[in-house]
Order: sequence, then C-alpha cells, then structure tokens
Amino acid sequence: MKTLLMTGVLLALSGAGAVKVGVLLPLSGAGSVSGQAAKNGYQLALDEINKAGGVLGKPLELEFADDGSAPAKAVPEFVKLVTVEKVDFMAGGVSSATSIAISGPAKQYNTFMAWIGAAAVPVEDAFADHPYFFHYHPWSYYNFEAILGYFKYLKTYKKAKNIAIAYEDGPFGSAGIDATVDAFKKAGFNVVMTEKFKTGSGNFGPLVSKAKAAKPDILYWVGYDTDALPLATEIKQQNLQLGLLYGTPPSWPVGFEKNSLSDNVAGLSLWLSTSPNKDSRTFVAAYKKKYGTVTDEYFAPLAYVNLKTLAAAINRAGTTDKAKVAAEMAKTNVSTPFGQLTFSPSLKTKYQGFKAGNWLHFQYLGDARVPVFPIKFAQKPMVYGK
Amino acid sequence: MDLFVQTLVNGLLQSGLYALVASGLALAVGVVGIVNFAHGEYLMIGAFLAWAGSAFLGVDPLLSLPVIAVAVFAIGALTYRVSIRHVLLAPELNQMLLTFGLGILLQNLALMLLGGNTRTVTTPYQASSMQLGDLSVGGPKALAFGLAALLLGALYVVLYRTTLGRQMRAVAQNRRGAQLIGINVDRVYLIAFGVSCALAAVAGVLVSVLLFASPTVGLVFALKAFAIIVMAGLGNLTGVLWASVLLGVSEALVQTYVPGGGGWSDAVFFLMIFGTLVLRSYRGAR
Repeated sequence: MKTLLMTGVLLALSGAGAVKVGVLLPLSGAGSVSGQAAKNGYQLALDEINKAGGVLGKPLELEFADDGSAPAKAVPEFVKLVTVEKVDFMAGGVSSATSIAISGPAKQYNTFMAWIGAAAVPVEDAFADHPYFFHYHPWSYYNFEAILGYFKYLKTYKKAKNIAIAYEDGPFGSAGIDATVDAFKKAGFNVVMTEKFKTGSGNFGPLVSKAKAAKPDILYWVGYDTDALPLATEIKQQNLQLGLLYGTPPSWPVGFEKNSLSDNVAGLSLWLSTSPNKDSRTFVAAYKKKYGTVTDEYFAPLAYVNLKTLAAAINRAGTTDKAKVAAEMAKTNVSTPFGQLTFSPSLKTKYQGFKAGNWLHFQYLGDARVPVFPIKFAQKPMVYGK
Repeated sequence: MDLFVQTLVNGLLQSGLYALVASGLALAVGVVGIVNFAHGEYLMIGAFLAWAGSAFLGVDPLLSLPVIAVAVFAIGALTYRVSIRHVLLAPELNQMLLTFGLGILLQNLALMLLGGNTRTVTTPYQASSMQLGDLSVGGPKALAFGLAALLLGALYVVLYRTTLGRQMRAVAQNRRGAQLIGINVDRVYLIAFGVSCALAAVAGVLVSVLLFASPTVGLVFALKAFAIIVMAGLGNLTGVLWASVLLGVSEALVQTYVPGGGGWSDAVFFLMIFGTLVLRSYRGAR
C-alpha cells in the first residue's frame, strides 16, 4: 500500500510544474484536414522540444481539444482547457468562426493566445485590444493582396478580364467580400458574378449554371475542402469553360490530387513540401521520419513553428508569466519553413507574424501541387484554359 | 430561358438524392412509427463503406452498392434488436432521445475510427454528363434520380402487392390488431427498419461518388429528409418523390434567382416545414 502511495505521489510530482499548452483544433467537421495536419505539426514540435530538454526544465505538455469546426463546440472546449485543465497558454485555432466565438472567454480569462489560423478580418477586430494575442497566419487582406497580384499577372499575360466569385456564407468566405469585389473592379476586372454557397452542401448546380451564363475567365471560390470536389465535378458536368478555377480553402481534400478532376485547379498556399528553403527541407525530413509520409498542408509546419517559437519564448522568459513571455515572443526573429518570422503590428492587432510576401500560388499538375506563381518560384509553366 | 430550364434540371437532379434519403426515413416513420434521428448516420456508413471498397479493394462504388445495402440492412437490423425494439412502447420523447443519442454515438465512432478528414472517391463517370443542346444533365445525379424512382416504385410494389407489404401496412395501422391476426410484428419491424437503413446507405454510396465521405456528411441530408417527410405527410411513401422534387426545385430557383440565394438554401426547407405545418393546422381547424 505504501509503495503504491509513493508511486502515485512521485508520478504526480513528476508532472507538477510542467508547462501546459492547450491546443484547440478542428479535428472534425469542415476544417478537419487543416486540424489534423496542425496536430501532426504540434506533435512533431513537442517531440523535438522535449528531446532538447523541454520547457523550464520539464517536459512540455499539450492538451488537445476538438472544436468540431463549430463555434458552439469551440467555446465550451476552450473554457474547459482554461479553467479545468488550467493550461498556461493556448495555441491552435484554424477557423475564423470558432475564433470569433472564443474571443469573449479569451478576454474574460485574459488568456495568452498563440494563434495559427483564423484569417478573417472580424477575428482581427475581435482580438484588437487583446494584449496577449499572437497571430501567425496572414490576415485575409494579406491573402487577397497575393491573389490580386497573381490575377493581375493573368490579366496582363493571359487576357483574363472577367471574374466570377463564389464564397461560403460563413465569416471565412463572407467577411470583406464587398472590399474584394471593389478591389477587383479597381484593378480593372469585370466581376461578372458574386454568389454565396453553403459549405458542405455539395449543391453547386445552380451556382455553376449562373457562372456559365456569366462567362467568366476566372472562377474564384472561397470555401473549405469539402467543396472542392463537388464544385470541380459540377464545372466539368456543365462544361463550364474557364481560364482558371482558383480556390483558397485552408486545406484540400485528402487524395484530391489523384482525381483527374483536380487537374489545373489552382490555389494558394503558405508553403509546399517542395519548397527549396533549408528549414522547409529539415521540416519535411523530420515529418517524413515521424509519420512516414509527406504533407502539403501548410498548417502542419505552421503549427510546428507556432509551438517551437512559443516554447523558445517561455524558455527565454524563464517563467510562465504572460507579460514576460509576451515580451520575449515579440522579439522572435527566426528562420522557418515559410521564411523569416518576426512579429509586427497589423492594421488592428499588435503581434502579426506572416504577411503577404509568404504566399505561393500552385496548380494541381500531374498528381501534385506545383508552384506556378510568383514566376521566380514556378517549377512548371501554369496551365491557363483559355 | 436556357438558365431557367437548366435551373429546373438542376433542382430535379438534386431531388433524386433527397428522395433516396427520405424514402428510408418515411418507411421508418410510417411502419415502425419511430422518428429516426440517426438516419443520416446510416447514410454516412454507406458512404464510408463505398469509399473503403474503392480505396482499399479497388471496387467501383456502384458495383459495391448491393453488398453495402445488405451490410447496412444487417447493421440496421442489429440496431433494432439491441435498442429500438425496447422503446417501441415507450413515450415518443424517449424514442427520439434514443435515436438522437444513437446518431451522436455513430458519428463519434466514425470520428474515432476514421478521423474527421473528408474522403473522396475517384470514378471514371464521376463528372459524366449528357449534353442536350445547351442543357447539361449530370450522370451520377441522373442515376440517383432514376434509382430513387425505381426504389420508390419497388417499395410501392412491395407494400401494396406482397404479403410482407400487407403485413407492414397492417402493423402500421394497428400494431395490436396485427398481432391478434397472427402477424409477427417484431419481424416486420425489424425488416422495415433494416430496409430503411439500407436505403440511407444506398444514398450514401451515391453521396460518396458525388460529394465525399465524412463523419458529418449525413446531417445535411437527414435534415432535408425530415422536411420532405413532413411535406409528404409523416410515413406517406408515395408523397416522398413529389415532395423531394418540390424541395430540390425550390432550392435551385432560390439559389439562381434570389440575390445571395446560395446562403438561403437552408432556409428553404425550414420554410417548407413551417408552411406545411401551418397549412395543415389551418385545414384541421376548419
């Protein structure tokens, strides 16, 4: 009995004082591909951090929670991590809708947030006055800056003039849609269709019929991975002739590249596994060693960088005191698979990590995602259908 | 004019999937007298089985369809034996809570075993279509519509031209009376519930080809199936097809002609449930 008691006490003591990071991710639902990729990135980073001595001399602990890609599930999971699990820091966050939902409790508990996703501007508004909000993913206006640059190139060199926009009706797709239309018009494009859809409904028949009547050169869709195949299928079935189908989901369906319907579909990514960057090659090798496979989902390296930089900041601060860790995080200046990471103010938040210059445009060509723009990073010439 | 006709075709094609899902639900409500909130999860099982057959065995989803239907019939029969059967005489609220819980259980089992990722199936006919002038008729959706009409026709024949069908109708009308004349009520319920689940799985196979397989894929279709059976009249199998067409075409018209209509498509079926219930109560009051 005594031995049993001693063992219990020792086990409890070994975990006592360890830094705990809560990770809220969409492990199910519309954003699950990104969430699963991010989880892999976190676990890889955790292995490396603990192998190198952990955080503040103890192994770092991660507490994962599934937000189900739904605000209604995200809030109780977030509150549980903060109040029941008593995590010292929060990381994760992919969906804009769930991030907006937890902004209230995050402020209530003054939680330290090292946030990897949530690009919509309403999230920036929601966390504008939060003193401990570090945002790694570029805001949507940075994404759009990169997209506009690519489309302007297509306008100049491929005579692309007419754009049809299909966007999901949640915050991810809808926020800033009017500004998007205005920016396209200002850049000299004709926006021939602007149409909402319900993500996950798979019912794109009417939308594609409308697009067909509008005769666009580019169909630009803002949605999730669940919409990619149904949309591509409907376009093929209705024989909609496009120069380019361009999408910006946070992730793409598993195995989409193997389906011929993905041929020439273009998209935006912060990172691709083929990137020649040295840190990227190191990450890909470590990822392959741990999981036996390679991913093209940028949320995997983003989560990896997120945890590594957070752990480094806590170690530099020598404490879990939020103000001191925030001061150290603000000084971050490291090379990552995406390029150099530093934090500087965005339009509304104090600590913004990656911005417009980090984006790559790719096309599905020959069962793989191949960078096609900016031209200096292009590995194959882009295929334009008109 | 072309856009209008194409919109009608789009709606009609979409209604085939809706009818397939709703026919099973109508059977469960009509014969067993239970509102099965887990109906969408049997669709999800069908979609995952089709995906697994295609991904691991290289079997085309349409070829595996009969096997999947039989397998999900067996799962449905097992569900009936271990759970539904015990609440048939319980208050309706208990029945609903049971099937609601069953749905959550199946969805979370899928999440634990398969993860939350979206799985897609690749087939050579996935994007096939018939071109009639400027009109385009999607192959798999046309197949879904044809299959729905065929299965509903077959169900009608079974219900009105066979002994089993007569037994089902008798049980649906009066459970105790059917027992008194020697019908094995338990067996009839088991078959009806199993067939209901198998029909959802057939829809699931087509959903895997047209869309994807994921733990939550059944929810959207189950909600629409509820709208359809409310419009058709609870348990009214013959009304399922026209109610599905009405829902599919209404959604397509709203999506095409109402500004921002894509965002309103979910409101269409809630509006239809609301309209039907108000109209029925108004008629009842007269």
